[in-house]
Amino acid sequence: MARRKVFFRRRKVCKFCADKIDYIDYKDIKLLQSFVPERAKILPRRISGTCARHQRLLQQAIKRARHVALLPFVTD
Amino acid sequence: MRTYELMFISDPRVPDEDVIAMTEDIQGMLTANGGEVIRVEQWGRRRLAYEIDKLKEGKYTLLYLAGEDGQIPIGEVELRMRQNDRIVRYLTVRTDLDLKRAGLPQPTEAGPEPETTEGEATAEGGTAPTRSAATPAASAEKSAAGAETPAGGGATTTGGGATATEPAEGKE
Repeated sequence: MARRKVFFRRRKVCKFCADKIDYIDYKDIKLLQSFVPERAKILPRRISGTCARHQRLLQQAIKRARHVALLPFVTD
Repeated sequence: MRTYELMFISDPRVPDEDVIAMTEDIQGMLTANGGEVIRVEQWGRRRLAYEIDKLKEGKYTLLYLAGEDGQIPIGEVELRMRQNDRIVRYLTVRTDLDLKRAGLPQPTEAGPEPETTEGEATAEGGTAPTRSAATPAASAEKSAAGAETPAGGGATTTGGGATATEPAEGKE
């Protein structure tokens, strides 16, 4: 009998909902950096668990931060 | 009442006193029509995340603005900044709607915007951007003499000014 594989997946919670952050400031680099890994791409919701609304705000903030060179577009 | 944040990055070879002069110039334009400059932050020299016009550093200035519809000539100010080749990049963001939606107070003269209201994660949050915020124009005026000037030979790369402009409304 085939044994069914059991996955333990931690339920991801949107960081911004948890911390009740409703305004994501493009100047808050420390916060934004935790959502742009190594390669400087924006971490997808799939990975970070951010909810749709906050991902949208986050994305906007990261793009603003990139424009003023607070965050990189790419790194190599 | 609308509020905006206006950030610009000037060439680090520009002495601090000139940065302040430019800032005052911009402030003059902004307030000419009844607009209000709530707060000015000189972040000073900061490393850029990527090179802009061969520059690796820039001097950041941040202005918080308020005014009714039409009181702040953002278009004109942006045009001026684009034409000024000592300003390498700028960004204007309208903040009142987003702040209101988030239930946060509008920016005030003194304190840094309490946008990071996290309880325990304060250790890593919020410190970096507001770090040098406590040194606005006042201290920068004095230390203007201490501004070192890399690339001594003068005319090297005077860049083409700012590129992509973000619309004030912050739409994609």
